[in-house]
Amino acid sequence: MNVLNIAWKEIKTGLRDTKTFLLMLAFPIVLILILGTALSGAFSTSVKVGDMKLLYRSEVTSPQLAEYWNGFLKAAESQGIRAVAAEAGADGRKAVRDNRYTAYAELGDNGIRFYGSSKVSIETNILQGMLTVFADRYNLVAAAVKENPAAVPGIVAAWTDAGDYVREASVDPKRQPGSIDYYAMAMTTMFALYAAFSATYLIQGEHARKTAIRLSAAPVSRAEVFAGKIVGCTFYNFLILLAVVLFSKLAFDADWGSRFGIVLAVLATEVLLAISLGLALGYLLKGEGSRSVLMIFLQIASFAGGAYFPFGETEGVIHLLLNLNPLMWANTALMKVIYENDALAALPAIGLNAAVAAAFLILAVIAMRKREAL
Amino acid sequence: MNVLEIRNLTKKFGDFAAVDNMTLSVREGEIFGFLGANGAGKSTTINMIASLLRSTKGEIDLLGRSISANARFAKSNIGIVPQDIAIYEDMTAYENVRFFAGLYGLRGETLKERTAEALEFVGLGDKHKSYPKNFSGGMKRRLNIACAIAHRPKLIIMDEPTVGIDPQSRNYILNSVKKLNEMGSTIIYTSHYMEEVEEICTRIAIVDHGKIIADGTKEQLKSIITDTKEIWIGVRSAEPVQVEALKAIPGVLSVRVEEQTVMVSSKAEVGNLNRIIQQLIKDQAEIRSVEEQAPNLEAVFLTLTGRNLRD
Ligand SMILES: Nc1ncnc2c1ncn2[C@@H]1O[C@H](COP(=O)(O)OP(=O)(O)OP(=O)(O)O)[C@@H](O)[C@H]1O
Ligand SMILES: [Mg+2]
Repeated sequence: MNVLNIAWKEIKTGLRDTKTFLLMLAFPIVLILILGTALSGAFSTSVKVGDMKLLYRSEVTSPQLAEYWNGFLKAAESQGIRAVAAEAGADGRKAVRDNRYTAYAELGDNGIRFYGSSKVSIETNILQGMLTVFADRYNLVAAAVKENPAAVPGIVAAWTDAGDYVREASVDPKRQPGSIDYYAMAMTTMFALYAAFSATYLIQGEHARKTAIRLSAAPVSRAEVFAGKIVGCTFYNFLILLAVVLFSKLAFDADWGSRFGIVLAVLATEVLLAISLGLALGYLLKGEGSRSVLMIFLQIASFAGGAYFPFGETEGVIHLLLNLNPLMWANTALMKVIYENDALAALPAIGLNAAVAAAFLILAVIAMRKREAL
Repeated sequence: MNVLEIRNLTKKFGDFAAVDNMTLSVREGEIFGFLGANGAGKSTTINMIASLLRSTKGEIDLLGRSISANARFAKSNIGIVPQDIAIYEDMTAYENVRFFAGLYGLRGETLKERTAEALEFVGLGDKHKSYPKNFSGGMKRRLNIACAIAHRPKLIIMDEPTVGIDPQSRNYILNSVKKLNEMGSTIIYTSHYMEEVEEICTRIAIVDHGKIIADGTKEQLKSIITDTKEIWIGVRSAEPVQVEALKAIPGVLSVRVEEQTVMVSSKAEVGNLNRIIQQLIKDQAEIRSVEEQAPNLEAVFLTLTGRNLRD
């Protein structure tokens, strides 16, 4: 109960200080915007899956095949692909060559043929991949319609899920972040870690205001004070991050993937880690010293963790060193969650965050036992 | 019954003993004054009672139980008004009191009532929505008190609660101390201001160098110095007065002069007033008044410690 009391006090006074709240919100957003636009050239592969257009001509007479095709179109549309039926006499291949469409498909009762743009891009890859998978199945179905019509519904029924095509079909299944997408993520994780800075004041502030006296004199254990402070401060900073995430999604259309809950879990545990780190450092080192140490750490971590530009693949000792960085493991996890839809990739990051947070708390509690009062 | 009992209490900072083998007890219903110059060890003692410092040696019992073995019990029954103002400037007066009272286990309606009651008590009832950053020094001091009393502690410890405030707030605080006492709290009150201690305390301990050097009611303390008397002589100008000649008069202990007053402290049993006056006439000091001062605590303090309470 005391823990909640103390936590609630932190949250309330934090939110009440609207100037600071807005500043903490504005800072990452402005950086996302600046870095995202200034460095967009560095992310040349940035293409939205939603930009794909498919032109098709259907000369199907079999109602079963027609129905199957329509099913595919629906599935494709749900993935953001726009399908357009070609007008009679139009040259579909030329339309693709002219770059008006991503691909052109011709289908009849005997099978399907398609033409993709010769330009290699993610969008053609994805669309061609989907069509390839579909075509294989279509041709199978087309054969079945002739030889054994009774078997068709069974074959088709197994392949109606939209995700089927995308996951299996993409030649390059990894979506890639655009610069805004990347910096929306990288700035959010960076500022999550920077929450450590304000956490150095959690106990120091009580001493400066002399209220530490009252907290120590009250029948509340110091562990309760610590816990309350951490819960409150983590929640407050998480709210700010949530606002940054939502704002970047709505205003900049930043890609946060479809596993929103997992993304937030990574962020929440990262804030927890940051707050515990800040609280422990502020408690152990006291005064400005704690913040100087933290500042150096945060800047190195940000730089090496890919906050300003993403790192490519690394190996050996460098790889190991880079991965000791909480920002690195958070960013790596989020990239996988967002762009490869790999929810499990978040587990190591969440686990590490929680473990490191616990380690710092234990450190603070050991130091606390040696002190006479808070 | 003794609310507080301190036995052989010592606190060392390094080699320096801020509190030195102190023994004292405070009975239920007392307003116990703790009088001492800067650095005498008042706050250090108080901080040990309130579990803010660990003692180097000795025991403290609150309501018959050792505070080190019953920390939660002791803390719940003590309300401390720290020497420094200890409040959150970014929370309203009401929120401050409610937050701290909440730490003492008050909840719900009781919490609300006691919070309002404490604010009302220190005269901030109409300010409960205001932020302390806009408060005067006196109002902050009063809020500082309110934060310590909402949980209705058995023992209230006030460490110089009237430092640096206007006379009006001071009177308010002194009256509320008396009222708190009437309502059943035992109070330990430290101050630099002799008049305050003399006005409200039922018993007084004089602390010096971490030791209690005298302890009793103000009458008892004053009786310690009945063998000295203090004579104040008003003059037109003290300039021509020869201090050394006055000091040479038998029985005279000390002489202080201000612009128009000559203050002589002397052994009581020596009848030397005539000789003092004669000396002043000889110095052509133009005497305007002569009065013998009743013995006061200031004089007691001076006699016992050899220094003034305030430098
Ligand atoms: N944490 C500390 N470390 C070292 N010395 C200390 C510490 N706290 C107090 N002292 C010393 O102990 C002595 C007693 O200090 P204390 O604060 O108890 O005096 P006090 O009677 O409350 O004085 P004041 O009227 O100025 O408040 C002083 O000489 C002070 O310098
Ligand atoms: Mg003091």
